[in-house]
Amino acid sequence: MKKDAPGGRSIPIKRSLLKTFLLCLPMMLLTFMMLTQGSIPTEGGRLFALAVTFFFFNVLFFLMVRTEKTDRFRSILFVTLAVCFVISFVSNLIEVRGSMAISRADMIEGETPFCHLVIPMTIIPAVLTKTIIFPGKILGDHAIAGMFVLWIGISLALGRGLCSWFCFFGGLEDGFSRILKRPLIKNINKKWTYLPYAVLLVVVLMAALTLSPTYCEWLCPFKTVTEFVEITSVKVLMQTIIFVSLFIGLVVVLPILTKRRTQCGLFCPLGAVQSVTNKTNPFEVRIDQGKCVKCNKCVSVCPTFSIDEESLGRERVKTSCTKCGKCVDACPQKALFYHVKGASLTSGLDRYRLLFLYPAFVVLATMAGGFVQDAIVKTIKLISTGSMI
Amino acid sequence: MELDGFILGVSSGVTCVAFCAPALVPYLLGEGKGISQNALLTVQFLLGRLLGYLLFAVLAWGINRSILQGMSKPSLLLLIGAAYVVFSVLLIYYGFFRQKTACAMTRTNGLRSRLMTQWPVSIPLVAGFALGLSFCPPFLLAFSNALEKTSLLQTMLFFFAFFLGTAIFFIPTPFVGIFRGFSALKIIGKMAAGLIGVYYLYSGIVMLIGGIKI
Repeated sequence: MKKDAPGGRSIPIKRSLLKTFLLCLPMMLLTFMMLTQGSIPTEGGRLFALAVTFFFFNVLFFLMVRTEKTDRFRSILFVTLAVCFVISFVSNLIEVRGSMAISRADMIEGETPFCHLVIPMTIIPAVLTKTIIFPGKILGDHAIAGMFVLWIGISLALGRGLCSWFCFFGGLEDGFSRILKRPLIKNINKKWTYLPYAVLLVVVLMAALTLSPTYCEWLCPFKTVTEFVEITSVKVLMQTIIFVSLFIGLVVVLPILTKRRTQCGLFCPLGAVQSVTNKTNPFEVRIDQGKCVKCNKCVSVCPTFSIDEESLGRERVKTSCTKCGKCVDACPQKALFYHVKGASLTSGLDRYRLLFLYPAFVVLATMAGGFVQDAIVKTIKLISTGSMI
Repeated sequence: MELDGFILGVSSGVTCVAFCAPALVPYLLGEGKGISQNALLTVQFLLGRLLGYLLFAVLAWGINRSILQGMSKPSLLLLIGAAYVVFSVLLIYYGFFRQKTACAMTRTNGLRSRLMTQWPVSIPLVAGFALGLSFCPPFLLAFSNALEKTSLLQTMLFFFAFFLGTAIFFIPTPFVGIFRGFSALKIIGKMAAGLIGVYYLYSGIVMLIGGIKI
């Protein structure tokens, strides 16, 4: 399995097919249980969607384990999740409401789905006023309580890994950032990496002041591809212009030009919170200075600006690392590796990666499962009937 | 309690302490005293700042009574809206583009050294007062916000809340060692002030539109 390298570290070599299969077997069982939820659908389209999704997930996981490339296969599923989420969510909205726009009446009824990006700005008002400043439901579908539980669990398990293994928005800019072969904008001032913390400070304070979800109302770029408030006033029109501009700028144009996830790395307030949870999380990406030849490949590929010359010197990536594995894949010297805090730095490196991959992939598959199946069913419907609804 | 004054103070307090700590912290270090004595000096310093702020509260109230109360509502909206726009643009510039310090206290080094020899007890108080009179953009924004208040008590409460918001960030000052790795906080504070400036710019534009419409 491993051979010794100078310096005492072991270099992983390719696994046998049988061993890879055995390592993937638990994931197959888990994904099968998750996707079927105890019952296999009888309707043709749903059965086909289930089979395709199951096969797709497990092939990707198999390739991750077999080739030891993480980001190469993670990104395929991550981008698929984002695209399928948009297809599934928007088609469902149009089916139920007839529009992507949410009316005031629907908001008063608590019909707005709660997303994880709202979490930071709800905490202080919840403590101060014992109310949730979001027009959603506490329990039920798309509920606030469910998202809080998921967020706490995933933050404990993956820290900021949530941003690359769970967030159904991150895949959009991840996808756009992979369009060009080389970045057209290379130099971004380091000071902008602090902007998410400033945005967090401001949205939390403003939410406490106005008792409204400031980020959702004014800034969230992803409303462009999900749902937004019906334009009935100049104020809502201004809000719409702001969030659409942010979407075009931070999620589409800048990721294409810089090959980075600019919304996640330079703007997202939840990302700033998640960076803190990285401190309380067992997994991390480490750098072996002995192997590093200072080619700076990792610095240039990191989508969230989490590696710089200083981190190479400290042998640790910054707390903003989303554990996507892009730097680990890109390093020609295999100087970067997944690591479990407190464990040995010289042996068992491949085991640490596997220990991380199981929970991370389960999270990604759980998140993607429903949306991918639903998007396949909707696409089949579109092809056969000319309408998704 | 004037919550908006407090929030404005909290949002610009990081910037305040980040930019003015280079003047206060060396003084505390220079004194070479323990945490409790440093805390006492910091309280004196904060008291000086509070005096400066309250002086401005009286000034804002005076302007309101002598000039603003005689004005019609549209003119008032136009005036305050314009003040919001100008000061918020300054705050945005200060938050995102200006690299150098904007704190008045850093310009009082000569005066401080003279006072140090004559009245050593008064140094933190005078230094705090100088900081309180600083015309940095967050403070000017607070000033234009306070112009809207009609009574002296309201204006003073607004500045007091603004002071409390900024003062929170001075709590760790006695533990001066903390400020060694302060550069990131300084940048975050500046940016947060800039973003708050964007919010006030929006408020100013809305007021201007309101003033033109009436």
